[in-house]
Amino acid sequence: MLNIFSWKKINLIENQVGLLLLIILVFVGSYLSPYFLTVYNLYSILWAVSVLGIVCLGQAVLLITANFDMSVSMVVPFTGIVTVWAQIANYGLWTSIMIGLFVATLIGLLNGFIVVFTKANAFLITFGMQTLVYAVALIFTQARTWYVTIPEFHELGRGQLFGRVHYSVIIFLGMAILLEIILRYTRTGRYLFVLGANEDAGRRLGLSMIKLKILVFGFCGFMAGLAGLIMTSRLGQTRAGGAVGMDFDSVIAVVLGGTSLFGGTGGALRTIIGVLILGILSNVMVLGGIPIAAQWIGKGLVFILVAGANEHIRKLILDKYKKS
Amino acid sequence: MNISQRDIFENVFGRIINHTIIILLLGLTFLFSILTPEVFLSTDNIHNLARQISFNTIVAFGQVTVLITKGIDLSVGSVLALSAAIVIGFQDLGIVIAIILALLMGIVVGFLNGWLVSKIKIPAFIVTLGTMTLVYGIVLTYTKQQSIIGKIDSFTILGSGSIGPLPIPTLIMLILLFIFHMMLNYTKPGRYLYAIGSNEQATFQASVRIVRYKILAFTISGFCAALAGVLLASRLNSSSIHIGQQTALFVITGCIMGGASILGGKGSALGAFLGVLTLGVLINGMRLLSVFTYNQLAIQALLFITVVAVDAFYVNKVKNRIIKSKF
Repeated sequence: MLNIFSWKKINLIENQVGLLLLIILVFVGSYLSPYFLTVYNLYSILWAVSVLGIVCLGQAVLLITANFDMSVSMVVPFTGIVTVWAQIANYGLWTSIMIGLFVATLIGLLNGFIVVFTKANAFLITFGMQTLVYAVALIFTQARTWYVTIPEFHELGRGQLFGRVHYSVIIFLGMAILLEIILRYTRTGRYLFVLGANEDAGRRLGLSMIKLKILVFGFCGFMAGLAGLIMTSRLGQTRAGGAVGMDFDSVIAVVLGGTSLFGGTGGALRTIIGVLILGILSNVMVLGGIPIAAQWIGKGLVFILVAGANEHIRKLILDKYKKS
Repeated sequence: MNISQRDIFENVFGRIINHTIIILLLGLTFLFSILTPEVFLSTDNIHNLARQISFNTIVAFGQVTVLITKGIDLSVGSVLALSAAIVIGFQDLGIVIAIILALLMGIVVGFLNGWLVSKIKIPAFIVTLGTMTLVYGIVLTYTKQQSIIGKIDSFTILGSGSIGPLPIPTLIMLILLFIFHMMLNYTKPGRYLYAIGSNEQATFQASVRIVRYKILAFTISGFCAALAGVLLASRLNSSSIHIGQQTALFVITGCIMGGASILGGKGSALGAFLGVLTLGVLINGMRLLSVFTYNQLAIQALLFITVVAVDAFYVNKVKNRIIKSKF
């Protein structure tokens, strides 16, 4: 029988492919340019990935329970659209923010309801929801770009605490730390791991899997909404397709950080690593003169390689455990 | 064994569900014939419709093959787009070589998908999401994000030509329908695919090489997507970066409507054909009624969600019944 100490070691080892990749990328980056390792550049990368990072935190929690949310790429801009609509309709700064977050969480909860009560594949349901939200957004905006009307709204994405650190970065890192604490040290957080690892066992323990599942889906929607607010306030505008590719990006980042696609293992802090990898990868590719279109190729390759490597390592460890 | 009223109900219910697609098809045809008199049922429209659905149906044949093995192939849209780009981009080497290259690409991508799913055991939707992005990246890079116009006019006969009243793509589709029907129902690989989808563990323990057949299924899917891409490029005499965006959604919806299941073990070539046909009729009818494009998209997405949800709900219900009846 493996004791607790060994499990901690396994947990530490099995997720390090991403960390390794991060270190390699940092080396490549500093080789390509003397400005790479400067505080300014690294902070810029952090700032740039904050929006994606917030979405990834929601996605990570969901992935721990062995579910996906592919609709985030359309919920993010849609939240912005709804918020700007509320501003244009004279609802005031905070009310419009509340409406936006409410709609985002609602979509997440809707995803959760459908997945829980039909036991359908979360990936596919949210994949369809992505197109649905996109279509609704297009109909709503008539495919036009809308502009933020309340100038104070820009503070969210562009404002800086003490003029140095952006609020968006603080929100991202703060939420990551908060989530990590919740995941590791509260009952609900630990129940999420049970849900992902062995749902049936959790149900037999008497936990309400239904409530938990719908909760995480709603949470993921909420995070997507938050990210959408920040993105819209940064750009000052919003349009239906403003976050294309974020669904795939968020899953890649979370997996790169070491969370398993099959659920049961993962964390919030490690997701930061995954998001940083994506950010630095983009940065490195730009420094290396690779065209934007090719970045998709790079991301696809990296994803397949790292996901495959992580799963392989997990399988090896599990086999070793079974033999002992 | 006692046959309860419930069992009878489910048997009948199941049979009705299986034939729902035909009812739906006939119903929609009837509806649109009434709503757009003389337009919907005109020879021109039917001719067009037949040609339009051929491309997606060919992709659907490959998709249903994968669905039967409890897999899914989301990369079909990107493969279609890349195939179109290759066949137009490499025209200078001669049409035949260009077509062969495009089809080869489809086979390679399909093989990669199959290998990653069966050997490395990464879930199919993740792998094909990865390849979808990867291949799309290749399309963007190769075409430099522009449309390429074809130069050889004789090539367009494949996609735009007809033999008598039958468009050539439709003819190809019907031939493939026959081939797939035969393959899935009357050959060893076909039956093994159903076995793998129904109960992989049992099939594995019956000494069937799962890996081989899964790779086969995905390779076929990639090939079909590439073939559809070639035909589409021939029809348009160009390739653009916008084709193939909705293909995966459309084709999967059609397959499930025709009886396939995300959970594997079910589905048929004929069902895939009927499903895509029904969807095609729906889209065609909506276009004739001048339904706004975005509304069409919303309806398609809603249909997809509904179809996946109902499929999962029904299959799980039957599974639970079976499990409960054992005890």
